[in-house]
Amino acid sequence: MLTQGIRRYRWWILASAVALVVLLFLPGLMSAFHTRVAQLILMSAGLALAWSILGGFSGYWSFGHTAFIGVGAFGAALLETKVDLGGPAANLVVGLLFAGLVSGVLALVIAYPLLRLRGIYFAIAMLGVSQVLGELVATLDWFQGSLGIVLPRLAPRDIEPQVFYYYLFLGLAVLTLVIGFAIKVGRIGYGLIAVREDEDTAAMMGVPTEAYKIFVFVISAVLTGMIGAAYAHSLGYITGESVFRVDFSLNMIVYALLGGIGTLAGPIIGAVIMVVLTQVLLGDLLDIHMLATGALLAVLVLLAPKGILGSVQGLLRSRRSPPRASKPAAGEAPP
Amino acid sequence: MTIFLQTLADGIVLGGIYSLAAVGFSLIFGVMGVVNLTHGIFVLCGAYGALIVWQGLGIDPLLGIPLVMAVLFVVGYAYQRTLISWAVARSSLLATLLLTFGVALMLRNIMVLVFSPDIQSITPSYAFSFFRIGALTFDLVRISALGASLALLLLLALVLNRTGLGRVIRATAQQELGARLCGVNVQHVYGLTFGVSAAFAGAAGVIIGIVLPFSPPDEVPWTINAFVVVVLGGIGSPAGALLGGLLLGVASTMTSAFIGPAFPNVMTFLILVLMLLLRPHGILGNAFAGSR
Repeated sequence: MLTQGIRRYRWWILASAVALVVLLFLPGLMSAFHTRVAQLILMSAGLALAWSILGGFSGYWSFGHTAFIGVGAFGAALLETKVDLGGPAANLVVGLLFAGLVSGVLALVIAYPLLRLRGIYFAIAMLGVSQVLGELVATLDWFQGSLGIVLPRLAPRDIEPQVFYYYLFLGLAVLTLVIGFAIKVGRIGYGLIAVREDEDTAAMMGVPTEAYKIFVFVISAVLTGMIGAAYAHSLGYITGESVFRVDFSLNMIVYALLGGIGTLAGPIIGAVIMVVLTQVLLGDLLDIHMLATGALLAVLVLLAPKGILGSVQGLLRSRRSPPRASKPAAGEAPP
Repeated sequence: MTIFLQTLADGIVLGGIYSLAAVGFSLIFGVMGVVNLTHGIFVLCGAYGALIVWQGLGIDPLLGIPLVMAVLFVVGYAYQRTLISWAVARSSLLATLLLTFGVALMLRNIMVLVFSPDIQSITPSYAFSFFRIGALTFDLVRISALGASLALLLLLALVLNRTGLGRVIRATAQQELGARLCGVNVQHVYGLTFGVSAAFAGAAGVIIGIVLPFSPPDEVPWTINAFVVVVLGGIGSPAGALLGGLLLGVASTMTSAFIGPAFPNVMTFLILVLMLLLRPHGILGNAFAGSR
């Protein structure tokens, strides 16, 4: 199935490869500020992709994915400050892997009970999980969530930190994209789409819904946790509040929704647009930042519920075959 | 023992206010299946409305309740008939979660711009009087707030169970198609439900404004509290909201008294997650559209 998938999406893969080559050479051409924005875009795209592996494919919208960012960040930070791993390179590798492991284990523990909930109930339960973890990290002294933790420096002396983290987030985003692609074109991807469309029917047709859901939940958590650890390092100093942030959870959804939910290109497109909009264009208007984000969100839901990709595809399709009747059946009233 | 009883009494008083703040949320969730994340904003609108009435007009804030309710009823009706129904028609119920969140962000920002981000409080002349029963102390304001909450909850229960409007709302909640076939204008009923919900949130806001200090970011905890209350008590009925609110109030005062003042929120969410797992339709479980 993988080879078929590669053949089917060969133009997308080619475009991604070209984009990757361009991205590899980009930091040499940009100012420090723009490298920082690009770094943020890559991180956001990685997070939105990791969210999409669960939310986009299976339709289980998590409203608390920041739980995994926080757990990954604090897992790596506590390990690296309490245990001497020997050198920045070891810190980087072991820290990221440990962050992924901790998030993955957490996801595995909560997966079975939480994934029995559907729709809004699952979304809110995840929000609850992230809030509980955030408050616990902030109140229990052992986590040092209220004092904060200073992380060891990772970037080598001869590389600018923003360039180093640019490449780190690029690597993680590519990893997430590749894993997402493998899931999407594989057997699991089709199973998940069946779950998204009608879970009971899928289970009846023999799709192992429970196993698939748990699998992608854990994968999504591992990737989110690793990006969270990288984010913690890029900050250099973390508190509970700086990594357990509701706006992270929300942004992942918004990016995926803006670009086109259920796709892989969508979250990336959404992240690029939103980060450029909020950081570059609205950077000076902090007073109305929330107002603008909220307005954008509302307009998005009302005007392009299928995201940019969905709208573009809809336009192309209607131009290609205009006479086909695509009107809803007459008796069907909108809910 | 006295500490325990005092904590229990405080919890019940607080719980009464939680109940009133949550009942509108519960109604919308039960009738339409929409999780209205703007709910906390409606509550704060009530609180700021009371502030305006008290500071600007010099009227006792409790007397401002009917005015606040009337204004918010109109706002809620218009909100449902425009934005919410468009979102439901164009995409999905889950999308209303995002839409209402976006609107909440906008309105919170506007509140900060209009009222400043400072913490406000309303202190009428009777704000600090109290009375004692045995060893227990009761704050007069909080007791009158509890009384007002209970009266308003009773009013809503009567409207839902004894009037034509209530019958139509209940019918729509049970079977939208059936109600439509019987000639009910479902969209109008949805609008009315939203209006009623916003009005009661506003009334709760007035009471909260008198009892507790408030600022624009408080909308988030009020929305979340409403959700927890609904999940605890069960969706769509004033009795469920009352039960859930009382339980939440007692649980949070008990937690901060006996476990630690930093833990009520952890406890709230722990209860939320456990309830969702063990009994998602709440203790008094009649769930209507909210459960699927």
